[in-house]
Amino acid sequence: MRPSRFPKLVLSGVLVFLYAPIAVLVLNSFNASHFGGNWEGFTWSWYERLWDADDLWEALRNSVFIGVLASLASMLLGSLSAFALHRYQSRLQKIHLGALTVPLVLPDILTGISLLLFFVMIRMETGFLTIWIAHVTFCLSYVTMVVLARLQDFDFTLIDAARDLGASRWQVVREITLPLLAPGIIAGGLLAFTLSIDDFVITFFVQGPGATTLPIRVYSMMKVSQNLPVVNALSTLLLGLTFIVVAFSFRLTRSKL
Amino acid sequence: MSSRFLSLTLLFIAASVASAAETLHVFTWADYIDSALVKRFEKTHGCKVAIDTFDSNESMYAKLKAGAGGYDLVFPSSYIIPQMVQQGMIQELDQTKLPNIANIDPEVLDKVADKTMKHGVPYTLGYTVIGYRKDKVKNIEASWSTLARTDLKKRVTLLNDMRETIGAALKSLGYSMNTRDEKELNEARDVLIGWKKGITKFDNEAYKAGVDSGEFVVVHGYGGDLWQVMQRNKKVGVVIPAEGVSVACDEMVIPKSAPNTALAHQFIDYLLDGKNAAQNMQSIGYLCPNSAALKIVGKEFLQNPALTISAEVKLKSEVIQDIGEDLKKYTKVWDEVKAAR
Amino acid sequence: MPEVEPHRKAKTSEEWLVTLPSLVWLGLFFLVPTVVILILGFKPADLTGGVAHGWTLANFRSLVSVEYAELFWRTVWITGLTSFLCVVIALPAGYAMARASKRWRNMLLLLVAVPFWTNFLIRIFAWKTLLQVDGPVSAFLEWSSLFEEAPTLLYNNWAVLVVMVYTQLPFAILPIYAAAEKFDFSLLEAARDLGASKRTAFLQVFVPGISRGISAAAMMVFVAALGMYVIPDLVGGVDGEMIGNKIVQRVQGDRNLPVASALAAALLLLVSGLTFGGLKAAFRREQS
Repeated sequence: MRPSRFPKLVLSGVLVFLYAPIAVLVLNSFNASHFGGNWEGFTWSWYERLWDADDLWEALRNSVFIGVLASLASMLLGSLSAFALHRYQSRLQKIHLGALTVPLVLPDILTGISLLLFFVMIRMETGFLTIWIAHVTFCLSYVTMVVLARLQDFDFTLIDAARDLGASRWQVVREITLPLLAPGIIAGGLLAFTLSIDDFVITFFVQGPGATTLPIRVYSMMKVSQNLPVVNALSTLLLGLTFIVVAFSFRLTRSKL
Repeated sequence: MSSRFLSLTLLFIAASVASAAETLHVFTWADYIDSALVKRFEKTHGCKVAIDTFDSNESMYAKLKAGAGGYDLVFPSSYIIPQMVQQGMIQELDQTKLPNIANIDPEVLDKVADKTMKHGVPYTLGYTVIGYRKDKVKNIEASWSTLARTDLKKRVTLLNDMRETIGAALKSLGYSMNTRDEKELNEARDVLIGWKKGITKFDNEAYKAGVDSGEFVVVHGYGGDLWQVMQRNKKVGVVIPAEGVSVACDEMVIPKSAPNTALAHQFIDYLLDGKNAAQNMQSIGYLCPNSAALKIVGKEFLQNPALTISAEVKLKSEVIQDIGEDLKKYTKVWDEVKAAR
Repeated sequence: MPEVEPHRKAKTSEEWLVTLPSLVWLGLFFLVPTVVILILGFKPADLTGGVAHGWTLANFRSLVSVEYAELFWRTVWITGLTSFLCVVIALPAGYAMARASKRWRNMLLLLVAVPFWTNFLIRIFAWKTLLQVDGPVSAFLEWSSLFEEAPTLLYNNWAVLVVMVYTQLPFAILPIYAAAEKFDFSLLEAARDLGASKRTAFLQVFVPGISRGISAAAMMVFVAALGMYVIPDLVGGVDGEMIGNKIVQRVQGDRNLPVASALAAALLLLVSGLTFGGLKAAFRREQS
């Protein structure tokens, strides 16, 4: 049967739709116009301004800092959870699964406001720590689900065999469990990092003095027309970086096959 | 691989901690301090100035109330300061550390609640006015009724600030911006619902870019912000509604929880220096009530309509005040306006 | 799940050891804050932005009004329409991806995902550039002589809808693709052999076959869109407020945490009701 052309057409349309704004921002990062509506000539000046925009770079550093620490913590907690969920069947695990699923179906704004109110109540000052806590909280469930998917093809007899052969609990974890789960854990960590570095809504609520992340800085910068193209320049650079990383990992996986 | 990852992370943390050595955390409005002045302060004092911004007094207050405890210096409008004092949020200033305080124009102190500068020092005076595109709006009138025009294809914005916007409607009716009278407020509500039909958005910050690009043709906005736009775009102008406008005095205060009060005092005094204040106001477009600085800046600057209003209009203008319990009436009107069709 | 081996004594202590960390974390930073919202909703507000003593039903009672009904209705229809459009677009797109050759498949998957590594605020601002007065889209509309003078594209509910679909679309495509990839496409050919048209085969064989993916997609989009506040704030107009915007106004503008909590509690109820209903329906369908 010759497959219908309609789905392919839709898919092409979707790709155009997805990339149209991206193309606009890349183009405008070289556009002499402040507003980006019309092309007014080529310029590098936004990139020069970006180079001097210390506050943007600092926000980027804050974001990466929080993203790394949040993904590390959620990798640790999430791997333990996934392991527990997979290994045991008990009422405790039912509760555990429930507790992990609910955050997945809660709108960001609720997570943000409830954490803020909680921090107000326990009189905790907002800042890096509160952002980190919030990010770990919403990343945890995602990491767990990713690792859990990986665990579906994990052979538990290996662990029991190693234990029967006299390996200590720690040895088992280090020599068997971790290496086998590593790809899943790393994938989960990457997802957590992406979620953390992109989050605006939750951070907006729990953010404090000096702990300005990239999305928060961008949000306040973009309301001022003078800065819009500078942000475009930064996104273009980050986008380029993404493509390089993607191409690199593509080659890496292909050479392994 | 994992150990390299770990050491990278540790390096990262170390780098972040090291750079956090001496930082002055400032919480203020967007584009509100000349960046060259800030850079110079950083250099001479060997510190870093980190600026976070807010877009309304209410959101600033909410943020501080919610435990944002690390700010050294905040720039609220005068009307909200008594409440912050009452809530124990701000500390008394040490005036011995502020020799330049003598530069403050005594006339301004007359208008604010804190006349002895016990908690706050006036930073700027600003008016809320109407900005417009000279090339796209014909026969503009110096009146709030401009906001009722329906021939502008909805390319009009109003401030998303309850007190300012209800205040403008009250003024258009000839009432006080600080009224507690429900009948007057209801009339203002009806006026606002009428204005709402001709506007495209309630907005506090993006209107600057919008009127600059021509996306919006009439905007309700802050004088200094519009002055900044006018500096780079000759097609933008302002009119001062003859019914009177709102006058805001923003002050500098130090929160009780400020980690670095000494540096905060130094920064206040630095901004109060006559030369610095002159440079600052010519960069941000808000009048600094600083006698020494006002002697330095040119006449032309002072005569800009976005900055200075006529004595006649000044007489009808008002400073927004804290109205305590009656704020609820404003919230109610505001909700009704937002929900109206 | 594997069989539990009962002979290991250390079993339970080990189970607690690996379960407790995340359970404690979620209890402390998820369950407790949610309970805080519910409690605060029953507290009176004081004027200074704090919470007064005593208990009250006034916050919840204030939600029963025409204004809020309209707000909730608008939130639900925009969100519902967003999810519907996302699923309708994602179905053929996911189908096309699943039918592509293996090499292409990974490529397409990446192409769908990559735009989402650019910060979502930045993409919304790019949309503002696209849709602005005299911007590229209105220029195109005028050029194509569909309109003599293009209408204002920004600051209305349609702009909110477009940007909302844009930001949520990949969350619909990915689960649908995942389900479609496992689908046995020979079933479609069998249906065609039995005389079904392409469209009938697609709608009556393929769509039911990946129903799980579809409900996952719809739910993810719906939940994420329901609490949306940034998009109506940036591209919405004067009549585009959603529940999220009202919550932010209550927290930031009105200094009224209790009413904000009551609103948040109502949103929570709405989400859990819909999620629960959706799960139940899916479960029933699976059983029958």
